[in-house]
Amino acid sequence: MANWERKLEIEELLAREAHLLDERRFKEWLEWLTDDVEYVMPLREYVQGDVAPAGHPIIRDDRTMIEVRLAKDETGYSHSELPESMTCHVVSNVVVDDIEGSNEVLVRSTFLVRQARKLRDEAWWAGRRLDRLRPVDGTWKLARREVHLDATILPRGISIFF
Amino acid sequence: MTVLNELDVLVDWKNGLVAPAIHVDEEVYRTEAARVFGRSWLLVGHEQMVPTPGTYITNYMGEVPVIVSRDRRGEIHVLVNKCSHRGNQVCLFDRGKARGFACSYHGWSYGLDGTLNGIPVEDFAYREGVDKSQLGLEKVAKVANYGGLLFATFDAGAPELESWLGEDGRWWLDNLVLSQDLGGLELLPGFHRYHSPGNWKLAAENFFGDTYHVYTATHVAWIGVCVDYMKQGNLAPMIDYPSGTNSTHLNAATGVEPGRTPFGMGMLVMDQEVYKRDYAEAQRLGPEAVEWVEHRFHVRQKAFEGRADWPYGFMHAGMFPNAGLMGFISPLVGRHFLQFHPRGAQAHETWQWTMVEREAPQVVKEVAAQRVFQGQHPAGLIAPDDVENFERILEATVPDRNRTRPFHYGQQLGHETEGPAGYPGQVGPSPSEANQRAFYRHWLELMDRG
Repeated sequence: MANWERKLEIEELLAREAHLLDERRFKEWLEWLTDDVEYVMPLREYVQGDVAPAGHPIIRDDRTMIEVRLAKDETGYSHSELPESMTCHVVSNVVVDDIEGSNEVLVRSTFLVRQARKLRDEAWWAGRRLDRLRPVDGTWKLARREVHLDATILPRGISIFF
Repeated sequence: MTVLNELDVLVDWKNGLVAPAIHVDEEVYRTEAARVFGRSWLLVGHEQMVPTPGTYITNYMGEVPVIVSRDRRGEIHVLVNKCSHRGNQVCLFDRGKARGFACSYHGWSYGLDGTLNGIPVEDFAYREGVDKSQLGLEKVAKVANYGGLLFATFDAGAPELESWLGEDGRWWLDNLVLSQDLGGLELLPGFHRYHSPGNWKLAAENFFGDTYHVYTATHVAWIGVCVDYMKQGNLAPMIDYPSGTNSTHLNAATGVEPGRTPFGMGMLVMDQEVYKRDYAEAQRLGPEAVEWVEHRFHVRQKAFEGRADWPYGFMHAGMFPNAGLMGFISPLVGRHFLQFHPRGAQAHETWQWTMVEREAPQVVKEVAAQRVFQGQHPAGLIAPDDVENFERILEATVPDRNRTRPFHYGQQLGHETEGPAGYPGQVGPSPSEANQRAFYRHWLELMDRG
C-alpha cells in the first residue's frame, strides 16, 4: 500500500520549491536544503561498449558553492542573469520510495523548465531529478539532488537551478 | 559589392580595425569553411581519448563530423563520419570501443582504419565486382600527434604539424600547456558541450588574447565574490583561486610574422607570486601536495637558471583557428582544452575537455578538476557570462548597416614586444590586443589565398 499522505506532502513541497525558484526567492529556497546538501549534474553522453566513465560531472555543488552562485548574482554584475532570467519550472511524475537502511526517501521527478532571457532569447530544459529528502523537524529537507538533463550539448550556459 | 570582396578593407588588422561583417555574413562563412577550416591543422582530440585498440571518439573538423579511432595495430586514424555509399553517418556515439562501424542505411561496414570490410549482397548486387579498396571511409589527409594532442588537416599540401606550430609555439606548448618536463597531463574523459550564439571567431579571439574582459566587466561578479569570500576566510575551490591577482600580467604570442600561424597567450605570469599562493594552498591540501608544488617549482627554476622572470603559468590561450586553452596560471587548477565549432555564421558550439598534471597527488587532481567545472565551463561561474556577451554582440551586429563600422583592436599597438626579452615569440604588456591582431592577420591571409 503506497504511502499516499507522504507522497502528497512531498509533491506539495516540490511544487512550492518550484514556485520559490520561479519567484527568485532564493534565500527561502536555501532553507529547504540541508547543510550537507549535494547538488550534482552528471555529464550525459552517448557511450558504446566498455570505456572509462566521465572524469567529472557538469556540476557538483555543496552548500557553499550554491551560496556562491547566489552571491554572484546578487552583485548586480552577473551578466548571465542580468537582466534576470524568467523561469517556469514544471515538475511532474513524482514518485517516492523508501531507501533501505535510511530514514531518507528517494524522490524521482521529471521537469520541464523554460528559461526566457532579454527579448527573444530562451532555453528549454527537460530532464529527471533524483532527490534524497531527509526528515527534519517534522518536515522534509533536500539532502541530495541529482539532475539528469536530457541534453548532450547544452542549449546555453547554465545560470539557473533545476 | 559583397563582404567577401571587401575583406582587405574590412579586416584592417594593422590598424586594429576589424568589421563585424566577418562574424555574420553567410558568404564569408561558407568561404572560410574551405579556406580556413579546409587548410589549417585542427585539434581533434587527445591520444588518451583512444587509449587502446578499438577505442574511438567522434568530433568535428569545422562542420565536418569525424571519427578519431585507434586500430588493432595501435595506429590512430581520423575518418570522415560519412558512409561512402549514401553519405549516412556511420558512428552515432560520442565515444566508445568497437570492432568497426556499420552504416544503418544499407549495412556497409568499415574497420577502425576506415577500410570497407563488408557490403551486404555483394556478389549478387555487383556482378562485375566492386573495388572495395576505393570505397573506404574518407581518411582526413594528414593526422599528427603533438605531445598527445591529436591534430588533423584536410589539406594534403599543408606543412607538417611541427613546422606549422613552429619552434616558438612548440616551446610554449611544451612548457606551459603540456607540462612535458613535469610528467605531462592526464585526461579526465568526456566532452562537455554547449551551444553558444555568435560566430566561432568571437570565442576564438577571446581565448587568443582577451585578458581585458576578465577584470574590466565580464567576470567582475565572479572576482567580486572571490574577494569577499577570501576576506571572510570562506573557502570554495573556484572562489579562493583567482590566481595571479598580485602578479604582473604579460601577453605572449608566437607565429606573429606574416605567413605564420599564430599562437596567442593572454595573462602570462612570469613572477613567483602565484607560487606563493600555490604553496599556501598546498599546505591546506597536505604534505604530498606541498612536496609536489615544491618539486615542480625546483624543476622549473633549474630549467630557467639565471633568470628571475621565468614563466610560471598562463591564464588563457588560443591556437589558430578554433582551439582555446586555459591554464589559470596555477597547476592547482586543471587545464582546459576547448574547441569552438562553427554552426552557421551566427552560432557555434563549445566542446571542452579537462586534463590535470599526471604526477600531481590525487588530492590535487580532484580539486584541480573541480576548479575547471566550477569556472570556465558550461555551468561554471565564468563561461555563462561570456556566452551572454556573444548573444548581445550578435543582436547588435546582425543589421546590415551595423556590419561595417569596425570593432577596435588598438591595445598596445606598436608596443607588442615590450615585455621580458629572450623568450620564443614576443612577450609584451597586458592587457593587449596584439594576439587578436595576429589572429585576424592570419585569417585574412588564408581568406585572400583564394
